[in-house]
Amino acid sequence: MASTVETEHHAPAPAEPVRDGIWRRPLKNTGLVGFLTTVDHKKIGIGYAVGALFFLILGGIEALIIRAQLMYPEQEVISARTYNQLFTMHGTTMIFLAVMPLSAAFFNYIMPLQIGARDVAFPRMNALGLWCFLLGGVILNLSWFFPGGAPAIGWFAYAPLTDRQYSPEMGTDFWIMGLQILGIASLVGAFNFITTIVNMRAPGMSMMRLPLFTWMTLITSFLIILAFPAITIALIELMFDRHFGTYFFNVEGGGKPILWQHLFWIFGHPEVYILILPAMGIISEILPVFSRKPLFGYPLIVFSGAVIGFLGFAVWSHHMFTTGLGVVATTAFAFLTMLIAIPTGVKIFNWIGTMWGGRIRFTTPMLFSVGFIWMFMMGGFTGIMHSSPPVDAQQQDTYFVVAHFHYVLIGGSIFALFAGMYYWFPKVTGRLMDDFVGKIVFYLMFIGFNLAFFPMHILGMTGMPRRTHTYKSEMGWDQSNFWSTIGAFILGIGILIFVIQAIHAYYKGKKSPKDPWDSRTLEWDTESPPKEYNFPYTPVIHARDQVWEDKYGVEAKRMEKIAPGEHGIHMPDQSWWPLITSIGLFIACLGMVFHKQPVPMTSEAVFGLEIVIAGLLLTFYGIAAWALEGPGGFHLHPDPAEYADAMPAPEDDHGHH
Amino acid sequence: MRPRIRTPFLVAAGIAGALLLLLAGCSLNIEGQQSALDPKGPIAKNQYDIFMLILYVTLFIFVTVGGALAWVLWKFRQRKGDDPNFIPPQSHGHPMLEMGLVIASAALLVIIAIPTFGGIILKKVVPDELLENAVEINATGFQWWWAFEYPDYGFYTANEIVFPAGRAIKINLRSDDVIHSFWLPKLAGKVDLIPGQENFIWILADEPGYFWGQCAEFCGDSHAYMLFRAIALPEDEWEQWLEDQQRDTVKDDGSFEPLLAREDWGYPEDKILKGAEVFRQACAGCHSVNPRQQTNGPNLAHFGSRTSVAAGWYENEYDLLYKWIREPENVKPGNFMYRGFLDRDGRTVIMPGLKDYDLSDEEVHAVTAYLYTLR
Repeated sequence: MASTVETEHHAPAPAEPVRDGIWRRPLKNTGLVGFLTTVDHKKIGIGYAVGALFFLILGGIEALIIRAQLMYPEQEVISARTYNQLFTMHGTTMIFLAVMPLSAAFFNYIMPLQIGARDVAFPRMNALGLWCFLLGGVILNLSWFFPGGAPAIGWFAYAPLTDRQYSPEMGTDFWIMGLQILGIASLVGAFNFITTIVNMRAPGMSMMRLPLFTWMTLITSFLIILAFPAITIALIELMFDRHFGTYFFNVEGGGKPILWQHLFWIFGHPEVYILILPAMGIISEILPVFSRKPLFGYPLIVFSGAVIGFLGFAVWSHHMFTTGLGVVATTAFAFLTMLIAIPTGVKIFNWIGTMWGGRIRFTTPMLFSVGFIWMFMMGGFTGIMHSSPPVDAQQQDTYFVVAHFHYVLIGGSIFALFAGMYYWFPKVTGRLMDDFVGKIVFYLMFIGFNLAFFPMHILGMTGMPRRTHTYKSEMGWDQSNFWSTIGAFILGIGILIFVIQAIHAYYKGKKSPKDPWDSRTLEWDTESPPKEYNFPYTPVIHARDQVWEDKYGVEAKRMEKIAPGEHGIHMPDQSWWPLITSIGLFIACLGMVFHKQPVPMTSEAVFGLEIVIAGLLLTFYGIAAWALEGPGGFHLHPDPAEYADAMPAPEDDHGHH
Repeated sequence: MRPRIRTPFLVAAGIAGALLLLLAGCSLNIEGQQSALDPKGPIAKNQYDIFMLILYVTLFIFVTVGGALAWVLWKFRQRKGDDPNFIPPQSHGHPMLEMGLVIASAALLVIIAIPTFGGIILKKVVPDELLENAVEINATGFQWWWAFEYPDYGFYTANEIVFPAGRAIKINLRSDDVIHSFWLPKLAGKVDLIPGQENFIWILADEPGYFWGQCAEFCGDSHAYMLFRAIALPEDEWEQWLEDQQRDTVKDDGSFEPLLAREDWGYPEDKILKGAEVFRQACAGCHSVNPRQQTNGPNLAHFGSRTSVAAGWYENEYDLLYKWIREPENVKPGNFMYRGFLDRDGRTVIMPGLKDYDLSDEEVHAVTAYLYTLR
């Protein structure tokens, strides 16, 4: 096992951990200071989850206002501009602030447990990711409170509508800078997860013994580090166009609007898989548990996940079939897109194969997982339809596409994430969620979702374009829109009950044992909730479904445990610097938004780059102090009773780090 | 003990499915104005056919794979009285079966891929036999209306294209501001209008007909209100229309007085003449009434002969036109007829809008009536 902190282990164990540096590292790991300085992947994971659920509800409310506006033809519940702001913010919020961070919550919390690590490879960087995510969400939503309000450019922000000439308001700048800082959050997280999975697996856990969710975390992280640079560049170019008079996307100065679309979708299409692969990973954990069978065709599922990720970079122009690409490009992108149906189909076949011959228990997580397969299959079919450019020419930018990607993103990602939340809630909180209420939530969400989004296929094929504030009654879209709105509210009620149920279960739920579901993977071998150090022993892995083998397998496949050595378990120290660095970035981003905007209470003055420079100085100071505060760390000594059945540590090993 | 829901998932799925089919049945308006399921020309027909082919292929997969899934869920569910400690055989996979399914999926994709390729070519290339007597139109998208130019005949119109049925119509697509998308669902799938780029679409209407189209790319505040109409005429009516459109409709002495015979004006003379005066002062800066000239706003030379106003949002009726001019901001939020044009810095007014003119009810009535004499 590689270690992130080499220097300290070979020194004699200090009685008191050394905590020096520019700003002494805090010791208190409870209360507000404990939360603000935490580097514990579990607390960070919970931070991601709570933040993501907050934004899920916010984005959901935005969606319900949109649906209320569309319930009847030619309504004026909200103005056209507000409508445009709402769908822009709904899309951006759901993708960047709800689904991605909710996946990140699972990456953070579950993945280290699944590989038997005591934390991620770079704990402070992990904290930086959390703060950048939360502050990015704040920047984006601050736009509502400034003149001009939220951006009204769509989540795709096609140039040249984003040019100052067409969108002079600050909303677009909030959007640019918010996404930029969210990109940092995703990138530091992704680098961290890759390093963790590659380096910190328990002894014996070969790559082909990794739980599927961890595999999908790895693949998703690679997609993030390869896809995000494209949008980072696009956003910087757009920022320069808006603030410094460049002409990347403006025709008047020789720019090309189509350039934005290429850059955006080179990011945007892999982004789709960034949203769905973690969901597939979660499903691949849950189906075997509740079928009491191992995953069918594990190598093929892993491989098809990687193929989906790889092909994801070769299909971006299928978002641009109507932009006048030539015959060759159109055909190439069409056929490559069709190919993606194969690895996706493989996954569905294998999930069915997993359940085949099993003993299926319809618990709440299982219901959501099965619901996922049905809905994702539907979304896949419509996906095949618009992989064909002639068909796409009719469907592009209509409600058919809206139906398609909501089947993939709600029926797919959100259902799987809910399955994951029901499945891992006992592990994270140590308490059980009521199965009866869970099933009510599922049925409400399932029926509400289908009622909301199935009619949109019909709307799209009968000609209703997306992103339209209202529609005329004579178009014949009234009924579908009406039922769709009813469905959306049922879906909303389901999610609301989930939130209430989760809060209630957190305080009042029945205590959960270690392994309430009779599960198969390593995270179920530790306490619920896990202790700060995750495992009091080092697990030595001998099988893919290790915890299942421990319960039902043969002797040779049982897990071995190694007790911590005399130094105990090495733990990372808390730190202020991730938070301070992210606040520096936050200030710099706000400064960029205010650039050239009038200074309040003055007549003529406009902001220059002062705030940006101040923010960047704070950022660099934070990074420098971070580097200089030293690796830190301290040793914990779990109660020997917790590893009573473990073998003593070998002499030369300094314990489990 | 809490009550337990034992309803298998299938029953709920069945209920949901039945509900949806019922809903689909009663809300599906196949012949709706913008329905792609009611093609009226070869391109839309081709796109519809490929859609239906894929629909059948995916329905086949849905029945087989979905059927297998449903059967598995039913067959292998834990039943009341089953031994809770039963451990099914721990099979890990079946490589030959898995590879077989991969190959079968690939084969199904080939069925889709071949006609797809044909459809791509058809949309991009006008067949030779149609090229000879094709009609060319230049379409330019603006926030939030369409300018149409007939380059072979040298005149402009707006928000309605008229063309002969049975002949290929080549439409060159351009934009002067942001990206728009030209979509006439019954005749052809959409193609975008992108600034700095020359795009192209061709359409053909099998029979004379009246079609609705709409901008399909989000283009700002009033994107929802950017529609257009397309009228396919029999050959003789098309010839007549062409001749009419090239005729002047106002005197060229700067008075904007209609050339239409006074007995055909349909309104009191002084009202029309006042309307001409209002038009000269408040409208003519942007709206040309010379069919051979395109200015900042839609060309209105033959407005009286059009079927719709406000870029296809309203039918061309007196009351609706009056409303459009009286309170444009309420009809089409953010429109430039009301706001006027600002410089690139967003602050300097280049061209004043109706908000700067403060027209009286009477003046709006006059100019509304006047517009109907332009035919």
